Amino acid sequence: MPDWKLIVHKRLPILSVASPESAEELAGHLEDRYEGYLRAELSADIALQHTLDEIELTRGNWLTLRLLKEDIMKGFTRRIGLPGVLAFAAAMAIAWALDLAHIQPKTIFLANGLFLPLPIVWLCLLPFCGALGAIISRRNGGTRLDRMIAGAFPAVILFSVLVLIFFAGWAISFLAADYSWNWAMAVPALALWMAGYGIMTAIALLAGAAVLEQAQKRSMQSM
Amino acid sequence: MASIGAQIKRGSAELAVLTLLARTPLHGYEIAKQIEEQSGGVLRFDMASLYPMLYGFERRSWVKAEWETLANGRRRRCYRLTPLGRKQLAPLRAQWRDFFRAFQSLTGFQDA
Repeated sequence: MPDWKLIVHKRLPILSVASPESAEELAGHLEDRYEGYLRAELSADIALQHTLDEIELTRGNWLTLRLLKEDIMKGFTRRIGLPGVLAFAAAMAIAWALDLAHIQPKTIFLANGLFLPLPIVWLCLLPFCGALGAIISRRNGGTRLDRMIAGAFPAVILFSVLVLIFFAGWAISFLAADYSWNWAMAVPALALWMAGYGIMTAIALLAGAAVLEQAQKRSMQSM
Repeated sequence: MASIGAQIKRGSAELAVLTLLARTPLHGYEIAKQIEEQSGGVLRFDMASLYPMLYGFERRSWVKAEWETLANGRRRRCYRLTPLGRKQLAPLRAQWRDFFRAFQSLTGFQDA
């Protein structure tokens, strides 16, 4: 009896290393297939050849690629990460398109020199991005919580970028002699930008994801 | 036309696998074997099309896969249809029934 685990390991080496469970499953399939051919009274040589045809070079590579893709897509990446990044990419694409169309944010000036460029049109379009994240998450088997997080993911990225900029500015103040860090200005500015770009963005995105959730719930109930 | 053909092929394969799993949990080789036997050899699955589809079902939570040890001591990964998968099967069956009825009426085939 051929050692099917060894054959799969030799013929599909990448899959065997990256996804041993898949390799074991395929070895079991080949073993059953081979025995099926023997039961159908094929000679051992022909049975072996027919069985090996299932993982000949092109088919084997194609199988490895597709199974690894499925493996990578499992878990967080497929339910939150990928949908969230795609929602973020869509949000950035919209911002870029609005910029090309010369639709500028409305700048709000506050006391103490603080200002906030408020991208009203972009915020109005963001629910579509939130819905996109939720749709992809749902398609990838995401739970309701996953779908909401995926929808709001662009806001998480914006939050992170703002916090990063804040601390980068603070760090630079230690390095640059002619640059002073003013906590009294920096903290309110951060709070303002977080409200404008973080919280409002999150609300707009979650609104889109929530509307989609309701629509899908109704469509499931009517089926 | 090629894309319609691919969609039909993919859709029919999904329907075939989900229908079998709705009856009983099976492992990959059994699925391929039963489809081949029950379709009189017309439908055949090779590993390159079957396993990515099963993994895709698992990713969408339509099936749950668990390792089982058979009577002969071999380990096989057994696929079981989940309630979500069962929910997906009903509209899929309805779509295919409508498709075949429409096709029968269009072509006059009685056995389509």
